[in-house]
Amino acid sequence: MAEDPTHDGKRLDPMEPWRAARDIYMDAWGKTMVDMVNSEAYAQATGAMLDSYMTVSAPFREAVEKAMLKTLEQMAMPSRADVVSIAERMTNIEMRLDDLDAKLDNIQRLIVKVGAVPRSQAGKAPQPSKPQPSKKKTTKAKPAKRGEK
Amino acid sequence: MAEDTVITDPAIAAADRLKTLSRVMTTKAAIAQTPKELVWTLNKSKLYRYIPVLPKEKRHPIPLLLVFALMNRPYILDLRRGHSFVEYMLNKGYDLYLLDWGAPGPEDKNLKFDDYTLDYMPRAIRKLKAISGVEEFSLLGWCIGAILTTIYAALRGDEGLRNLILLTAPLDFSNKQGLTFARWTDERYFDVDKVLAAFGNMPGEMIDYGAKALKPVENYVGNYVKLWDNIDDPRMVEGWHAMNTWVTDNVPLAGGVFRQLIVDLYRNDKLMRGELVIRGERVELSRIQANLLTVIAEGDHITPSCQSEPVMSKVSSPDKELFRVKGGHIGIMAGSGASKYTWPHIDGWLASRSQ
Repeated sequence: MAEDPTHDGKRLDPMEPWRAARDIYMDAWGKTMVDMVNSEAYAQATGAMLDSYMTVSAPFREAVEKAMLKTLEQMAMPSRADVVSIAERMTNIEMRLDDLDAKLDNIQRLIVKVGAVPRSQAGKAPQPSKPQPSKKKTTKAKPAKRGEK
Repeated sequence: MAEDTVITDPAIAAADRLKTLSRVMTTKAAIAQTPKELVWTLNKSKLYRYIPVLPKEKRHPIPLLLVFALMNRPYILDLRRGHSFVEYMLNKGYDLYLLDWGAPGPEDKNLKFDDYTLDYMPRAIRKLKAISGVEEFSLLGWCIGAILTTIYAALRGDEGLRNLILLTAPLDFSNKQGLTFARWTDERYFDVDKVLAAFGNMPGEMIDYGAKALKPVENYVGNYVKLWDNIDDPRMVEGWHAMNTWVTDNVPLAGGVFRQLIVDLYRNDKLMRGELVIRGERVELSRIQANLLTVIAEGDHITPSCQSEPVMSKVSSPDKELFRVKGGHIGIMAGSGASKYTWPHIDGWLASRSQ
């Protein structure tokens, strides 16, 4: 940003008076516009404009929707309503999963609390029990060398 | 010895300015840079946990959840490096979470305050508690986010909510003359059902137009004049760029919420009158007992102070404070004075209540 023009040795900006006048004008303009948008007349006018847009565009919108629906049906493709319905069901499933997840977390916390499982193992999947050592003497097979069958 | 001379060609300077102008008007700034991890999702909503910067023993034990409005991106709370509320609070030792609502799609057009406050928020908070390992937490709600947190606090406040911070909270809609939005959405002029039948969700562009039209000259002209006047100041330009990136990133508002906002709140002021019913439960503000800090922006044209003040006399919280700060609706948290006034005050209030 250019430094503010001062009389202490810095360069004077010849545009400064113009800027000051512009700011005064914009302040006044801004206040007038704020008063205008705050009026009943503005609310009524914008409401009427929006309403007429909705009324005029509604038949076109409906026609496009119907045409799209028919096209999708003919192409054996799901319609927007179908996709929306699936998405809603997905959200419900997601919520149920979230609740299940929280319940599992709670159970895990309770198990840790009563000391049944060390905290380090609480989050791990249960491991299969170790096979009992056989009493028979077994001989270790020698590892096959590379190339041997 | 010859003096150093700076040769400035007005044409080159003007070309540089135009280049800067073009860059900030047509590109997106690098925003929301603070490292975070995604810890929970539901539909479009995401819960992020910001990576703490202080060791655990230096952090406040009570986590803080940030809830922003539904129709804007929440990264205004983490706008840019060196000027971010999130960064500031992390440095002050908070365990910080952010609930990002995302952008609703056509399948979300029926979402209401009921869903956000009783399906989404409790689940996100449950996850927050599981991660932080504590049963208590603080909530900060801003704008429509403050409506959500207030409703949550009244309905589920007994589930560990210790501190509630409301920023520019539009809760009281009784002063119709003082609310431009109330005038625009009056049932004589605005047919909410017709609009929602056409769009499903309220388009972000329409909401953006509504917010900007409150001060049309300032937003549509003054904003750019200010940029041009300061085009040679890189700090100011980068700040403007980041803010413009956020302002132009609009999110639609779920149709069900928009209908409730207009019909139940703007037209009938049901929340303050104790008549708002959320999934069969009446929202009684007197049930709020959490410590309460209400922050009001003195120059707020979107949520004037008359909308935020009355909640103070409705809640039962024994510990409550009203804090007024100079600035606008967004400026108090993202403007140049935010780091001097608003953020330190929030930290000062919250720190002593987060032990």
